[in-house]
Amino acid sequence: MFGQYDIPISIEQEEITLSVQKEGESLLYRRACLGETVEKMLVAGDGKVLLNPVEPVNKPKSLASHLLIELEKTMQIEPKGTRDIFLTFPVEIAVFIPSNEEFEVIDVFTLPRQKLTLYGDPVNGVICKYWKSSIYPAEPSLNRMQEGLIELSVTNTTTSWIEVTKAVFNAYGMKIYYDDDKASMKANMRLKGGQSAETEFIDEPVEEGMTKSLEIYTAGKLSVSRKKFLMEFGV
Amino acid sequence: MMLNKVLYHSVTVFDLMVVAIILIIAMVIAKALSLYLKRFLREKASKGHLEVLVKVTSYSIFIIALIVVLPLLGVRLSGLLVAGGIAGLAIGFASQSVIGNLISGLFLMLERPFAIGSVINVDGTVGIVEDIRIISTTLRTFDGPLMRLPNQKIFTANITNYAVNVARRFEYVIGIRYSDNADKAIEIIKNLIQEHPLVLINPAPMVFVDNLGDSSVNIIARIWAPATEWFGVKMELLWKIKQALEKEGIEIPFPQHVVWFANELSAREMRGPESDNPDY
Repeated sequence: MFGQYDIPISIEQEEITLSVQKEGESLLYRRACLGETVEKMLVAGDGKVLLNPVEPVNKPKSLASHLLIELEKTMQIEPKGTRDIFLTFPVEIAVFIPSNEEFEVIDVFTLPRQKLTLYGDPVNGVICKYWKSSIYPAEPSLNRMQEGLIELSVTNTTTSWIEVTKAVFNAYGMKIYYDDDKASMKANMRLKGGQSAETEFIDEPVEEGMTKSLEIYTAGKLSVSRKKFLMEFGV
Repeated sequence: MMLNKVLYHSVTVFDLMVVAIILIIAMVIAKALSLYLKRFLREKASKGHLEVLVKVTSYSIFIIALIVVLPLLGVRLSGLLVAGGIAGLAIGFASQSVIGNLISGLFLMLERPFAIGSVINVDGTVGIVEDIRIISTTLRTFDGPLMRLPNQKIFTANITNYAVNVARRFEYVIGIRYSDNADKAIEIIKNLIQEHPLVLINPAPMVFVDNLGDSSVNIIARIWAPATEWFGVKMELLWKIKQALEKEGIEIPFPQHVVWFANELSAREMRGPESDNPDY
């Protein structure tokens, strides 16, 4: 489903129905997904539509700017140790319309369950998009419409064993790559103590030949300076 | 000597030069203090409030400098003080509340218990803060009208800021019949709450039997939602809970009293000796 399409298009995949049809001088965009329907009249455009996975923080509402992944089983990391693991993340798909070499987001939809959570306390904490993931030692096969893959390198910089139960990422720094099989990201997590860690994304694909996703906030011209996230309310 | 040349009354050129130097020094002090205030309060006060504070400070320094230089220009302050004292007394009484509001406004700007756009409750008045001015604060209540509250009143009132935290908890009390299965009702309510995408996973929702009421077993549901969304979630969930419980045969009872007659025979006598119908 990901990629650039020439208008008119009509896509039906899993529980998603998406179409862009010409209606006179304008374009009619229609999308239905899990009971939610969107209809928009597009007055301009270059006759193309781009669909790609984006930072998974837009659904159910644009309230969160962080993604919290809770691990199904806790992970113990030895002192000064590093371990590469694979986690999953919820895939959110954005529809972009290119116009005069700029891309405008017209819609975002997602198939997996959408939930929010609070990381930290209600005063100082942050609202995060919530996702629960198993820990995979090797790359698992996933439904690419629902789950993406994060290759996470966890480093324990301390001299004690640390138990990891979750990872929180700043969604604005996410670098998503996709191909026919999957959407993926690469990230680092540096454990700085029993209760704190720093996470950041690496701008590299997990495999050669993957296409870089257009980021929503780049398309929206929102400049974000801080891309790392300091987890100070527990790991 | 040119400096001793008398211009008018006893005012000399030298006096004028001293006046000019004092005014220049006052200007430099005012400018330096303005810059210091702007740097020091940049993070603590909004741009508009900072401008007001800087202007008030600058003008105060100029007024002090003016009072200092007036005698050098031949203006007698003793006469002004007598007249000013009486006028000041009158103005003081008249502007007591204005000054009170002004000072409260300055403290509100520094303390910042709320910001523009916050949803606050000031002594029972709930609304969205539209503007915070030096004398008054404007609230837009949820039924539409704008309400102007003097800063003095706000400063001395109990203020609840609903939007200061990122998440907020709300609760329902749901009464079910004594004959219903409370465990089943709790499970239905929990499932429904957890399905809602805007209900937070953490802090986890709590659903439990809170008390055994006169007419019902009262179940409390405590739910956390993002601070900007809690009211919408609250409105949406309650009716869904009611419908889900009713679908499973669990009903929310009306208030009721069970009346026991101490003497059944006398109750029958009241209905009349010929009546045998117990339901009558």
